[in-house]
Amino acid sequence: MKFSNSNFVRHFGTYFFFLVMGIFVTFPIVFAFSQSLMTNQQVNRWPPPILPISPTLDSFRTLFTQQDLKIVLWLRNSVFAAAAYTSAVLVICAPAAYAFARLNFPGKKILFGFLLVTVMLPAQVTLIPNFLLMKDLKFLDTFHALIWPGAANVFGVFLLRQFFMQIPRELEEAAIIDGASFWSRFWHVIVPLSTNALTALGILVFLGHYNDLLWPFIVTNSLEMRTLPVGLQILNSSYAGQYRPLVLAGAVFATIPIIVFYIIFQRRIIRGVTMSGMGGR
Amino acid sequence: MVAKTGAARSNAGNGLLPMNLRTREALAAYLFLAPFIILFSIFVVRAVITAQYLSFFDWQILKPKRPFVGLSNYRELFNDDVWWISLKNTIVFTIMTVAGTTILSLSAAIAVTKPIKGNSFFRILFYMPALLSVGVVGLTWGWLLSSQFGVINYGLSFLGLRPLNWLGSEVLVIPSLVFTSIWWGFGFPMLVFIAGLQGIPEMLYEAARIDGADGRQLLFGITLPLLRPTMLFVTVTGVIAHFQVYGQPAIMTGGGPGRASYTVIFYLYEVAWRSFRMGYGCAVSVALAVIMAAFTIIQFKLVGQQAEY
Repeated sequence: MKFSNSNFVRHFGTYFFFLVMGIFVTFPIVFAFSQSLMTNQQVNRWPPPILPISPTLDSFRTLFTQQDLKIVLWLRNSVFAAAAYTSAVLVICAPAAYAFARLNFPGKKILFGFLLVTVMLPAQVTLIPNFLLMKDLKFLDTFHALIWPGAANVFGVFLLRQFFMQIPRELEEAAIIDGASFWSRFWHVIVPLSTNALTALGILVFLGHYNDLLWPFIVTNSLEMRTLPVGLQILNSSYAGQYRPLVLAGAVFATIPIIVFYIIFQRRIIRGVTMSGMGGR
Repeated sequence: MVAKTGAARSNAGNGLLPMNLRTREALAAYLFLAPFIILFSIFVVRAVITAQYLSFFDWQILKPKRPFVGLSNYRELFNDDVWWISLKNTIVFTIMTVAGTTILSLSAAIAVTKPIKGNSFFRILFYMPALLSVGVVGLTWGWLLSSQFGVINYGLSFLGLRPLNWLGSEVLVIPSLVFTSIWWGFGFPMLVFIAGLQGIPEMLYEAARIDGADGRQLLFGITLPLLRPTMLFVTVTGVIAHFQVYGQPAIMTGGGPGRASYTVIFYLYEVAWRSFRMGYGCAVSVALAVIMAAFTIIQFKLVGQQAEY
């Protein structure tokens, strides 16, 4: 009797926690969505209205038509840059990870230890030198600046190496007996067995790049080359004071692709993030 | 984990292989590594060295001359009030955010690993904010925390509290950014804690329960001690990430009021891209790197040297 009672209380506590946390997590998003469907007058009112009584798409119409807001283009830039960056990371990091996981070569320990140490460095130390390099290469305000500087992703090498090492060596042995080259062992044996890890890394890297603010802010300057996070910052600084629902509409517009992406790939994303947390940084 | 599994995993027969095969293997390895090493050398190694080198110059991007000034940038940094304010703000922000994030994410992880209905739904829901860009987070929370029409102040009015100027008060601005950042960032450590919790053998709990341990004893006697490596990972990565905070102040406060929410990276941006002082900016970033390294080492000492990492 006493036991089941305390069990109920404990579960009640957990559900109560779920409820409070659920509201905490979703309220800001729901609220932004709701107020983006209001007019300026409705929003600037006390008490703040939570539900749109007469929803309107005015702010979204303005968002898509305003001359200084190229939000669809910004979204396209973000998606393109993130996709290109992700491909670059996978193509560059996977072979490197294979070399660390499976091949023997002089200098392996030293090189790997060196990579481990650099993880401790804040990425921002490279900010100014890489900016100056982009400037000298005339890469400023081009996609090159958004793709190459981060493409040698140490974290990606660690994650994939960890995964490759878990693949049983026996699976490669048939290929070795057939006299397959190192490349075909990597390409025909390891890569097909690693689609999960590669997808997980791809999703993580894509999202990280898609949400980055400072670097794209520094290396782009024309309205046409901005990415979505930078565009949102511009939107906020020019319109927050006078047209709040427009700013919220921008936030909603940027959120929808992510939420849809998340709903489709939730399991992969969760698994990928968890893997990255366990694989070490 | 990474370091230990280490490099030399030579298979036993290797010593017997003919020389040319080993050479071939090494050659193949270098080719596999080449693209990575080339880009890494350019964008990381070269960049880090250049940052240190440039920090000895008075390099203003708009001026033709770049005189060597030795340590004078660092001397200036030492006497720079804004640098010290930014550093203080960043440290306070980091400690509060990491502490809050760790507590919230651990509680959430414990809740969603309970074998009850709906736990996987809430796991997915709780991770959602972590996917948003700092732009979305900043825009949304900037409005929620607004002093005039903010819904947070409205909520507090039910508790009989006067409206507060969250982002406009020198005292409240950092806690407000901390609160926002916890909301945004607790998802990742939550998933890491979930993985850590699932790695604890159920047997231990059963044995302890048979011995009559209650929930609190299980938490402090088994869960927390066994989560030590996870805790170390979460706090170290959290410190590294939050020390580099930029977007929240840049979007929500512009560093204000006054300089109350200047952070180091925010200041770095101001120095390098508003005042165009690249040399001094490099000194700021090198100093940041040294401080962060110190913080990381201190954490390793505090949380436990034995934890695998």
